[in-house]
Amino acid sequence: MKIYFESLAMHLKGELEYRVNFILSFLSQILVFFTYYFIILALFTKFDHIKGFTLYEVLLCFSIIQFGFSFNEVFARGIDHFDNLIIRGEFDRLLLRPRNIILQVLCSDSDFVKSSRLIQAIIVLIIALCHLSIEWSLLRVLTLLLMLVSSCAIFFGIFLAAAAYCFFTVQGLEVRNVFTDGGKHMAQYPIGIFKKGFVWFFIFVIPYAFVNYYPLLYFIGKKETIYYAFSPLLVGLFLIPCILLFYWGMKRYTSVGS
Amino acid sequence: MKAYISYFKLKFISSLQYRSAAWAGVATQFFFGFVYIMVYVAFYESGGKNLPMNLSQVVTYLWLNQALLALVNQFTRDPELFKLIREGGISYELARPKNIYFMWYFKVIGQRLANVTLRVVPLLVVTIILPFPFHLGAPESIYHFLFFLLSLGLGALLVTALTVFYPIVALRTLNEKGIVNIMITIADILSGIVVPIPFFPKPLQVISSFLPFQYISDLPFRLYVGNVSLTDGVFGMCIQIIWIIILIILGNCLMKKNIKRVVVQGG
Repeated sequence: MKIYFESLAMHLKGELEYRVNFILSFLSQILVFFTYYFIILALFTKFDHIKGFTLYEVLLCFSIIQFGFSFNEVFARGIDHFDNLIIRGEFDRLLLRPRNIILQVLCSDSDFVKSSRLIQAIIVLIIALCHLSIEWSLLRVLTLLLMLVSSCAIFFGIFLAAAAYCFFTVQGLEVRNVFTDGGKHMAQYPIGIFKKGFVWFFIFVIPYAFVNYYPLLYFIGKKETIYYAFSPLLVGLFLIPCILLFYWGMKRYTSVGS
Repeated sequence: MKAYISYFKLKFISSLQYRSAAWAGVATQFFFGFVYIMVYVAFYESGGKNLPMNLSQVVTYLWLNQALLALVNQFTRDPELFKLIREGGISYELARPKNIYFMWYFKVIGQRLANVTLRVVPLLVVTIILPFPFHLGAPESIYHFLFFLLSLGLGALLVTALTVFYPIVALRTLNEKGIVNIMITIADILSGIVVPIPFFPKPLQVISSFLPFQYISDLPFRLYVGNVSLTDGVFGMCIQIIWIIILIILGNCLMKKNIKRVVVQGG
């Protein structure tokens, strides 16, 4: 773990060398991120609720997903951009070292510009929490933490599965975006608002429903079922096939040379 | 003029080569269109008051947006132009006895037309046969449809005039990221690609009406669904023409200014 933090610090120093570029990119990221909010804010000026969910409930749902996604963009960029490692043949180098391979991929890259999104997600989360009247209890605090952690975990799993995909295709394809960006876009809203088929998909294939729908229902007091509060733990099950997929792909890996 | 037309043809024909990329694009756009529409469907099913458009108008608007995205979006940048600037190929462009602004203008519009030609038909065919409420509706009337085509053409000229600014700015900054990205994001919101303009809060609608962005695709799409009357359409098209002229003149001036200070990178 120590290695990971050291490499993180190194990447940060590296990025800060180009200060003006860093600041400009940081600002443009804030703006890009704002366009996502803009959709929700604009639509809620015309509609009072979406299937019973109010603006701040949707924002809460939204910020949890964004938190997990941007967390991975900052701290797990090596996996997000795994195809770069494969295309340049740099993955061979990692294989030679006597360390855990996933850890090494994590160390290979990070992107602190994206931390602007992470900060924004946290701000939106706080704003949403302030506007919602939540009966705080120890269990609710735990639920919130579980939601945040599982959100990070689910995107880690998706990125890992997408990386495994690169072992076969070399180039990361646009198809991947459908699952990450498209899935993310839907999961920004409480998943129950969509048609049944999609809800099943988000329970059994990519379990977004356990990240920010079922626990959210408990958290905002729409449902009192206690096990909804612990449903984010199920996301752990989703990670297993993702990790296995990655190692399975690695076994079949043939280098592209460098 | 003939030289510019051949630039256009060159770019159009070479861009038509990227067919598999286009298929992937069609699939992604179809998926995203679906996702956006489902959100609107959920909103409309929850009810709302004083809605500026009805659901089938919004759905049609969103499908037109996806089908014609390659033509009217503002985020496509021609990587070749930026490469010219970064790697010094710009010196060859300068050596040609033609107006460099119009060379770029015709290249950009050629690429856009090629990209949209490859994508528009499959998307339109599929979305027309989708079941209610997900299908692309018919135009309000034959006149609305003709006005739609006309203002879409003007919108294409307008968006080209806008996007030619990106490489011109890059002549100074060398890097197309940063400032250009900020420009693109603002333009994206105000063009109605993210949310149709009628859903904007009132003050923002007023601001936006004084800017060129909403005249690219929002006007033609709303003409198609009948959200804008024909007389307002004529008025809108006049504004489109005025903006095209203003932007082309501005682009030319900025180009002249930046070319004077251009630094050729490498050989």
